[in-house]
Amino acid sequence: MKAVHLSLAGLAAVAFVSILSGCGKSDSAQTGLSAQAAKPVSGGTLTWGVTTEPACFDPHRSSQQNAFWVERNYIDSLISKKTDGTYAPWLAKSWSVADDGKSYTFNLRDDVHFTDGTPFNAAAVKANFDYILNNVSTTSASASLLVHYDHAEVVSPYVVRLVMKQPDSTTLESLSSVKLGFISPKALAENHDLCGGGPGVVGTGPFVFSAYQRGQAAVFARNADYRWAPGNAQHQGAAYLDRVTYRFLPEAAVRTGALSSGQVDLIEGVQPTDASVFDKVDGFQYLTGPSATTSFTLNINYTVAPASDVRVRRALRDGFDLDAIVKSVYLGTVQRAWSNIGPDNADYNAALKGSWGNNVAAANKLLDEAGWTQRDSEGFRTKDGKRLSIEIGYPQPYVRDSRDVLIRAIQSALRQNIGLDLGLRINTAGDFANEKATGNWTIYPNTDNPSDVAMELWDMLGDQGFLYNAIRNPDPTITDAINRARLLPVGDARRQLLADVQKRAVDQAFIVPLFAPAYHLAAKSSVHGIGFEPELDGPASSYDIWVDKQGG
Amino acid sequence: MSDLPLSPVSPIARPGWASRVPVPVLLAAAFLAVLAFSMAFPRVVTPYDPLVSDVAHAMQPPDATHWFGTDRIGRDVFSRVIYGARYSLLIGLSSMIVSLLVGLVLGVTAGLGRRAVDEGASRVFDVLSAFPPVLLSLFVVTFLGQGIVNMAVAVGIAGIPKFGRVLRSQTLGVRRADYVTHAVTFGMSRARVFVRHILPNVLAAVPVIATIDIGSAIIAVSALSFLGLGPQPPTPEWGVMLAEGRDVLRVAWWPSVFPGMAITLTVMAFSLIGKFLARVYGVRTR
Amino acid sequence: MVRKIVTRLLTGLLVLWLAASAAFVAIHALPGRIEDVLAGDLSYPGLRESIAAQWGLDHSLPWQYGRFLLRLAHGDLGISFVMQQPVLAVLGSQLWPTVQLAAAAGVLAIVLALVVATSTAGFSGGAGAWASRIASTLELAFTSTPVFWLGMLLLIAFSFHWRLFPVSGAAGWCALVLPAVTLALPTAGVLSQVMREALETTLDKPFVMTVRARGVSEAALRVRHVLRHALLPVVTLGGWLIGGLLGGAVITEKMFGRPGIGSVTLAAVTSQDVPVVLAVVLLAAFVHVVMSTLLDVAYLFIDPRLRNS
Repeated sequence: MKAVHLSLAGLAAVAFVSILSGCGKSDSAQTGLSAQAAKPVSGGTLTWGVTTEPACFDPHRSSQQNAFWVERNYIDSLISKKTDGTYAPWLAKSWSVADDGKSYTFNLRDDVHFTDGTPFNAAAVKANFDYILNNVSTTSASASLLVHYDHAEVVSPYVVRLVMKQPDSTTLESLSSVKLGFISPKALAENHDLCGGGPGVVGTGPFVFSAYQRGQAAVFARNADYRWAPGNAQHQGAAYLDRVTYRFLPEAAVRTGALSSGQVDLIEGVQPTDASVFDKVDGFQYLTGPSATTSFTLNINYTVAPASDVRVRRALRDGFDLDAIVKSVYLGTVQRAWSNIGPDNADYNAALKGSWGNNVAAANKLLDEAGWTQRDSEGFRTKDGKRLSIEIGYPQPYVRDSRDVLIRAIQSALRQNIGLDLGLRINTAGDFANEKATGNWTIYPNTDNPSDVAMELWDMLGDQGFLYNAIRNPDPTITDAINRARLLPVGDARRQLLADVQKRAVDQAFIVPLFAPAYHLAAKSSVHGIGFEPELDGPASSYDIWVDKQGG
Repeated sequence: MSDLPLSPVSPIARPGWASRVPVPVLLAAAFLAVLAFSMAFPRVVTPYDPLVSDVAHAMQPPDATHWFGTDRIGRDVFSRVIYGARYSLLIGLSSMIVSLLVGLVLGVTAGLGRRAVDEGASRVFDVLSAFPPVLLSLFVVTFLGQGIVNMAVAVGIAGIPKFGRVLRSQTLGVRRADYVTHAVTFGMSRARVFVRHILPNVLAAVPVIATIDIGSAIIAVSALSFLGLGPQPPTPEWGVMLAEGRDVLRVAWWPSVFPGMAITLTVMAFSLIGKFLARVYGVRTR
Repeated sequence: MVRKIVTRLLTGLLVLWLAASAAFVAIHALPGRIEDVLAGDLSYPGLRESIAAQWGLDHSLPWQYGRFLLRLAHGDLGISFVMQQPVLAVLGSQLWPTVQLAAAAGVLAIVLALVVATSTAGFSGGAGAWASRIASTLELAFTSTPVFWLGMLLLIAFSFHWRLFPVSGAAGWCALVLPAVTLALPTAGVLSQVMREALETTLDKPFVMTVRARGVSEAALRVRHVLRHALLPVVTLGGWLIGGLLGGAVITEKMFGRPGIGSVTLAAVTSQDVPVVLAVVLLAAFVHVVMSTLLDVAYLFIDPRLRNS
C-alpha cells in the first residue's frame, strides 16, 4: 500500500511541476527574428484582440467607431484619404468636380468585382447610394453624409456622376469613408440582415467575411483576386495574410493578458497602466496612432434646464482641473483637449488653447449668481429645493478607453469643488436612441466618427445633426454658421467659419472637450505593417500586415 | 446537545464568563464591534471622504497617510472600505430578512402541519434550491432590472430554501420536545401551545441562524455588485470596489485586496459567532 | 427497495415540472403587459411579433402553459430576443468551456477536501490537533471568501508576480488551472467541513477501536475503513455541489475573461434577454435535479441501512 501511495504522490508532483514549467510566459520573445526580414512574407494567420464587438457589420448602418476599421477589411471606397489631407485614387481612377460644386464625376476602374462575382461599376455605385437613402435613417452616420446629395447618374458603365442639391464641401471626405463604401448590389437586393455579418455581407475588399461567431470573433479570409488597393497603400495586389481573426475581448486586462501570453498577436486599446508591459519590451511593439478628428467631448443639451443657463454650463466647464485629471487617468499617453475638433486636424482652432477651464473660484461665483446658493445634506447645491444635477447618459457599447474612469474623476471633482452633481448612467444604445428621438438627452459624451470637420460640427451641433435634429430651438448663431460652412468650398473662408463655430461652442459651453484620443496598439514583434488609416481615425485594415514565417 | 463548547479552550486567564468562550469567537466579536463602531461613526475612524478624489495621488500604495492606499482616481481606499461596510452589510441584512420572513412562514408551517403540508412545503424548497442561488438571483434581476432593492430581493429569494429547511427542522425539534408534549397532555389548546411554546422557541433560534447565514447573503450581494447588477459607482460598496479595481490589478493590488479582505473577515466573524451560539443554545443548523 | 427508487425518480420529475412551472408563473405574474415585460427595454423591429409567436400570447393561458412545457420537453428553448437565434444554438457553442471548468473544479474540490479531512479529522492532541485546527481555520476562511476575490489573489500571486499562469482566456490546460483552483477552493472548504463532521462521527464508532486494536496504522485505518464514510456527504450534497459550481462558474468566467455560459448569461441579464436567462436557469435546474435524483438512488445502494427500513 505504501508503494501505491508513494507512486501516486510522485505522479502528482511530476504533473504539477510539468504544468508549472509549461504554463509560464510564452515564447513570444523572438528578438532575433524581428531584426531580420524587411521583406513581406505571404501567408500566415493573424489574431487581433479588440475591445468592441460591432453591433452591426453593415457600413451603411453602423455607428460605432470600433466597427468601422473592422469593416474596412471587406469594404472599399471610391477614393482614399492620405495623411496630408488630399485624396488618392481607389475604386475610382480619377474624378472631377463641377465649377458650381453641384456634381462630382468619377471614372471607375473597370477591373473590380465583388467577391460574389458581381462586377463593380457605376450601377453598383448608384445601387449603394439608393440603398442608403431608402433604407437608412437620415441621422445615421452614412445618410447624414448624403444630406445635400440628390441622385447618381450612370453616365456610362464605368463613369458615375453624383449630383448634389447644393454644393457640399464635405463630399470628398465622405466618399473616402468606409460608411459610403460598397456592398454587392446582389447582396443588397437579397435583403439579408446585413448587420448580422458573415458571408452575406459581400464587398470588394482584400478580405472576405468568412464567419462571425457572436460573442467570440469575426473571421476573414484572403480575397485572392484583389488587385485594386488604394494609391496610398503600402503594397498592391492580394493581402499577405491567409486569415485574420478579430477576437472580442472587452476587458483591457484580459486583452493585455492575452497578448502577453501569446494567445493573440495584436491588441487594440492598451490601457495606460499596461503600456509598460509592451513598450520597449523584447518581443513586443507598442504603437500609438494619430489623434482623432474629434476629441472626446461632453455635449451638453443647452435647451434643457438646468443646463439651459449658460452660467451653469460655464461653471461645469471650469469647475475642475482637467489637465491634472487627464494626466492622472491616462498617465501622459494623451493630451487634454481645448476644442471638440482634434488638435492634429487642419481645421482645429488652435487659438482656443488655454482659453478656458480650471477656474473653480469663477465657477462658484457663477453658480451663486445663478441662484444655486443653498446646499443639501450631501453638499450639493440646491435652488428651490431642487438639487443641481445633470446626468450623462453613456451607452454601454461605446464605453471604452478608460473614459468612464475619466468621467468618474470629473464627477468627483465637481462635487468637491462646486457642489454640482454630475451623474453618470451607463445605459443602452436603445435608451440613447429614444432620448435622441425625443430631444430628451442631457449630456452625451462622444468622439464622433471621423469625417470632414464641417461634417463633424454638423453632426454634433447642427440643427440637422443626430444630436439636435429633434430639438426645437437650437442656437441659431451656431447652426447658421454650420450650415453655411458646409456649403462653402474648402478654403480660408470655410476654415474661419469652422473656427468661429468651435469658439462659440466652447465659449457658450455647449460642449466641454476633454481629451484627444488616440489608438494604442500592441503586438508581437513578429507582426509587421501595422498602420493607421487617416479616414478611420483608427487602425488600418489587415491588408498591409504580414507576419514572420515562424511567428504568426 | 451539550452546552459546553466542543473546541478546546485556550488556557489564557480571562474573567469568568469569557473563559468558556473560545479565543477565535472573542476575536470575531471584537472585530464586529470595531466594524459596527466604524459604520456608526466613520468620521472618527477616518478623516477622508470616500467620494473625494485626489488625482495627483492616484494609485498610491499603502502608506502612513493612506493606510490602504488610493485607488485609480485618488480616493482613499481605507475610508471607502469603512463607508462601504454600510452598503454591503445593510443590503446583505435586507436580503436576509426577505429570506428569513418567507422561510419562517414556510418552515414553521411545514414543521407544524400534517404530512401533506410538510411534503408540499418541502417541495417548494426543493424547487427553489434546484436553481443554483447565483443563477436564480440573476433570473430575478433580469425581470426586475438592476439596482439595490431589486438585487436585495433577488438574493433574498435565492436564500429562502436554506432558512426554510432549518426553521422547519427547528420547528420539528421543538414540537417533539418534552415541554410541548406536557402542555398538550395537560389539555392546552393547539393554538396556545403554538403561541406559548413553539413559536417563541423557534423564534429564539432565528437570531442564531441569521448570524450564521448572513455571511452568505453578504457574499451573494457583493457578487452581484461585482457583476454590475447592484449599486453603481461611485458607491463604495465592497463588490463594486472589487470590480473597479480589476483592470489595474496588475499594477495596484490594494484597491482590490482590502475590500475583499473586509468581506472575508466579516463573513468569518459572523460564522464563528453564529456557530458558537448554536452550540451553546442547542440550535439546529441544518 | 424498488419502491424507494421509483419514489425518488418520481420526486425528481415532480421537482423538474414544478421548477419549469415556477419559471412560467414568474414571467406571467409580473405586472404589465406580458410583451412589455418580456421585451424590457429592447425595441428591435419584429421583436413584439417574435415574442407573441414564441409565447403564443393570443391564446389562453393554459394553452400557453401547455405549449411552454411541450417546447421544453422537446428541448426547444426559444429564440433569443437580442440575437434572434435559437437559444440552444447560442448556448451550445459556449457549453464546453464551462463544463471543463466546472468538472475540473469539482474534481479538484472533492480530492482536496478528501485529503484534508481524512488526514486531519478527529485528532485531539499533539501535532494532529494543530493540523486539525489549521485545517478548520482554512476551511472557514475559504468558505467565507468571495470567489472573485480569491481569483484576484491568485492572479496577483501566480500570474502577475510569479508569471506562472496566463491571466485570461481558454487556450488549453494552462488557462484552466487558476480558474479551476479559484472555483474549487470555496467548494472544497464546505465539503471538507461536512466530511470532517462525518469522519469524526465515524471515528467515534466502536468498530474503529476494533480496527486500531488489530494494529492497523492510522493512515491505513483512515484510507481503507473510514474514507467511504467521508464520501457519503459528497453523495448527499452532490446536487448542491453541481449548482454551486455552475453558479460560481458564471462569476469565475467573468473574473478570468473565459468564454462560456457565464458570459452569455451575464450579457443576457443586462440586456434583459429573457429566453436566454430562462434557458440557462432551467438547464441548471435540470442538471441539479437529475444529479440529485441519481445520487439519491445511489445512496440507497451505498448505505445498506437504508435499504430495508
